[in-house]
Amino acid sequence: MGHGRYIEPPAASYVLGAGESLELSFSVMPGESKDIDISVDLAGEGASFDLKGYYILGEQEKVNIRVRVHHKAPRCRSSQTVNGVAGGNAEVSFDGRIIVAPGADGTDASQTNRNVLVSDSARVGTTPQLEIYADDVKCSHGATVGKLNEEELFYMRSRGIPEREAKVLQLISFLSPALPGGENGAQEAEAALRRIMV
Amino acid sequence: MQDILLNIKGLCASAGEKEILRGVDLEVRRGEVHAIMGPNGAGKSTLSAVLSGKPDYTVTGGSVSFAGEDLLALSPEQRSWAGLFLSFQYPVEIPGVTISAFMKAALAARRKAAGLEELSAADFLALMKEKMAFVGMNPSFSKRPVNVGFSGGEKKRAEIFQMAMLDPVLSILDETDSGLDVDALKVVADGVNAMRSPEKSTIIITHYRKLLEYVRPDKVHVLKAGRIVRSGGEELADIIENEGFDKF
Repeated sequence: MGHGRYIEPPAASYVLGAGESLELSFSVMPGESKDIDISVDLAGEGASFDLKGYYILGEQEKVNIRVRVHHKAPRCRSSQTVNGVAGGNAEVSFDGRIIVAPGADGTDASQTNRNVLVSDSARVGTTPQLEIYADDVKCSHGATVGKLNEEELFYMRSRGIPEREAKVLQLISFLSPALPGGENGAQEAEAALRRIMV
Repeated sequence: MQDILLNIKGLCASAGEKEILRGVDLEVRRGEVHAIMGPNGAGKSTLSAVLSGKPDYTVTGGSVSFAGEDLLALSPEQRSWAGLFLSFQYPVEIPGVTISAFMKAALAARRKAAGLEELSAADFLALMKEKMAFVGMNPSFSKRPVNVGFSGGEKKRAEIFQMAMLDPVLSILDETDSGLDVDALKVVADGVNAMRSPEKSTIIITHYRKLLEYVRPDKVHVLKAGRIVRSGGEELADIIENEGFDKF
């Protein structure tokens, strides 16, 4: 298995053997509607999987994301960090599931899906699920849907940063844990944010 | 250049249904330092919030002119560009945005509004370094997210640093002295004193006389129940310190 691959969904499924690792990332840009379906089996001992993904939406997009990570072998590691900004009339659903099979002891799995709504009519539904059938596992998951912090916004504006710029700064920092490494990812995200923050 | 920098006339403002400012009158000339003192709930922080354009308040009457402009017609960012600076009583934490990125964005916007080119990276760094040294901030703070994990004193120091970076015409210090030890208080005082000039003015909002021992005000006002009920010189701060606000 290769490292750091960028996937062009709709669907991708992988089986990782002992000691193998896989890094995936995806992004959904303004105007794109997508169904993303990722399924990863950690089938050999010590395999690891990392997913980073983000979406920036501000029109009529419909985005459905489904991630299933199945820990089948002992001492595998997985992380998922998916953050998104939804404006306009965008509709997003995130359905993330981590399954830890019997015998997959020493599993270390995490999943976060954080969202910021920048319009009143955007909709995000997020359902993280854990199914754990093994002992001695470390699993965490978190999901949030919120709005930009008004106190931060005013503080930045009071220093002369225009409202739109202030929002872009806040959103870039919010997205950064989910951006694939490197300057290009951040620049692309920033350009997309400027498009939706009119 | 107009002699009167800030002219507040009959300013009334409310938060929701609650009327807080009930006709504030205040005239600040260029070069002056004014202190506004008052008990809790008098409207001191509301006054600074309204002057800086905080959206949570509604102005229900009166007028404010700043350097000849209608201040209340400007957005918070436009007020900053015009030279107004508020040092927050509770500086806001901005996770993920470094002090350096924050100041870069602030200066770039300000210079753009003034029709100036953006500072070069080298000039910006030199300016940051100079102003951090001025307030005794460790240069490593420039890479830290704004106010995140700062102690009370560090936050106030960072406010004075921002003030020095933005070089305002009118600085409003909202209880910048509260909760500071003497060393931090001196940093604040030195910052304010160093920026005193015949063109610039400062309003110090405070409960206590302590800061006024280091920054000597030209005028002292007592704000009570949403109005300025007494104005005078430095001696007024002594009377308040000794006798409290009840007599006003």
